[in-house]
Amino acid sequence: MRQNSTAAPSVATIRGDFPILQRQINGRPLAYLDNAATTQKPRAVIDALVNFYERHNANTHSGVHTLSEEATALYEEARARAARFLNAPSPRCIVFTQGTTAAINLVAQGWARHHLRQGDEIVLTVMEHHSNLLPWLGVARETGAVLRYLEIDGEGRLTATGREGGGIEGAVSRATRLVAVTHVSNVLGTINPVKELARQARAVGACVVVDAAQSAPHLSLDVQALDCDFLAFSSHKVYGPTGIGVLYGKEEYLAAMEPPASGGGMVLRVERHSYEWMEPPWRFEAGTPNIAGAVAMGAALDYLDGFDREMLRRHEIELTGYALKVLGKRADLTLHGPADPAGRAGVIPFSVGGVHPHDVVEVLDGQGVAVRGGHHCCQPLMEHLGERGVVRVSLALYNERQDIDQLAHGLDRVAAIFRNDR
Amino acid sequence: MGSTGLPRFSAMTDNADDLYRDVILEHARHPRNAESVANPHKRARASNPLCGDELEVTLALDGETIAAIGVQVRGCAIAQASTSLMSEVVLGKTLHESDALGRAFKEMMEGTRMELPEALDSLKPLEAVRQHSSRITCTLLAWQALGKAARQEG
Repeated sequence: MRQNSTAAPSVATIRGDFPILQRQINGRPLAYLDNAATTQKPRAVIDALVNFYERHNANTHSGVHTLSEEATALYEEARARAARFLNAPSPRCIVFTQGTTAAINLVAQGWARHHLRQGDEIVLTVMEHHSNLLPWLGVARETGAVLRYLEIDGEGRLTATGREGGGIEGAVSRATRLVAVTHVSNVLGTINPVKELARQARAVGACVVVDAAQSAPHLSLDVQALDCDFLAFSSHKVYGPTGIGVLYGKEEYLAAMEPPASGGGMVLRVERHSYEWMEPPWRFEAGTPNIAGAVAMGAALDYLDGFDREMLRRHEIELTGYALKVLGKRADLTLHGPADPAGRAGVIPFSVGGVHPHDVVEVLDGQGVAVRGGHHCCQPLMEHLGERGVVRVSLALYNERQDIDQLAHGLDRVAAIFRNDR
Repeated sequence: MGSTGLPRFSAMTDNADDLYRDVILEHARHPRNAESVANPHKRARASNPLCGDELEVTLALDGETIAAIGVQVRGCAIAQASTSLMSEVVLGKTLHESDALGRAFKEMMEGTRMELPEALDSLKPLEAVRQHSSRITCTLLAWQALGKAARQEG
């Protein structure tokens, strides 16, 4: 952890924090460029996980003994840590979930299906990940609400007007009851104008759900500035462990939600024929939670916030610009997404003419380069782009120009293997 | 240079050479029996939802014997090559024989069988795919569709 450090740490120093970056893959140093799928974990997070199990492990909340009290305190501290990460007004706005998918499903099942009616409009974008699309399709089917998609322009920027260069005036209508939008596209890297969408939604009294799975690692989040009603992110994409994530909800929204799952740890009192729930957020955390995961996620948020986030963002924009330049020079590649690196997170999708994404990924893997290929759980977006799948490069704070150079070298290898005269 | 001291780039061969052998690439580029059979006796599709790959098999039969086969594939080089290689092997075989070959190939790819039957000699270049577990399904897709077609009534 480097809280309040004045000098910016070098990428070499940061890389030293991540044990896995020492690994070789197929005889090459690992160039890990699949960070939008999951990030690697710093030593501090791994240590927090081990330390919890070695020193503090017990079940939370109902125990009186020392270890249970310690575990409860650590778990609730992690909640407060997540609240600070999002600038949420209170830890009571923070529900621990299994991850972003579970968090969005919680809003769909706990709030939307009880508050939406026939003809109500749910506004999404064409770039939504399946996890911010399928729950709303389900709600629409159950309630008779209808989905309306905001389109994108040629650079993958949101446009409500249909014009190139965007403009999202008129994104919501009087019928809109819910706006569910990804903050950063997991495929295009596009940063969406969530604050403006929330402003429009506010004017018609619609609820705003932000999928921050991809923005949390790249941008400083402030739920009060965004003025969204719900926001979800996953620990494992911000250098924390898998299996834990956060749903932020405004207190009045959480209070109006039904818990879709019930069981231990979420009730005050149970009689044979009646029960009384606990207050939010505990009402939504039935069963023994992922205690160690929450604690280690807290360590991950400490790690990330220990950096100057503006400095990290500048590094990312610089490296994204470099990657766009290197990839843009290759005649065999088609790049998608915003041309301006400042308008996107470090997520770059491309296709290689005539070569299937999985063949590209396979050859790159042989060169120690880890990227992902396929539809990336965004089939409507793939259809819009006219691609069956794309190769995606995604950056994290430990990536450096050499990773991009190694990728370019791997793409030479792809070209050599799949060149047409062979 | 990475901190391991190994070169980030080198001209040395890698596992791609093993996987993408010339014969595989040649079949992927110039697939055999790629024309759909007109008025087929049997027709079936198979797909891999993970990668969106799809293929369709059409068969013309002479009694139980495959007299003509057509296979259209939208997929990776491994899927295309395995499909093309399969189509060559099963042409002229009975549905029953093809089914047995398909099972033998699947067992070999999934590691429950050590050697391919002689009739599948031409599929040997696909053995390297066994080291890449996520790609094994790519080699089985065509056989899956063929099996489905064979089991169809009429």
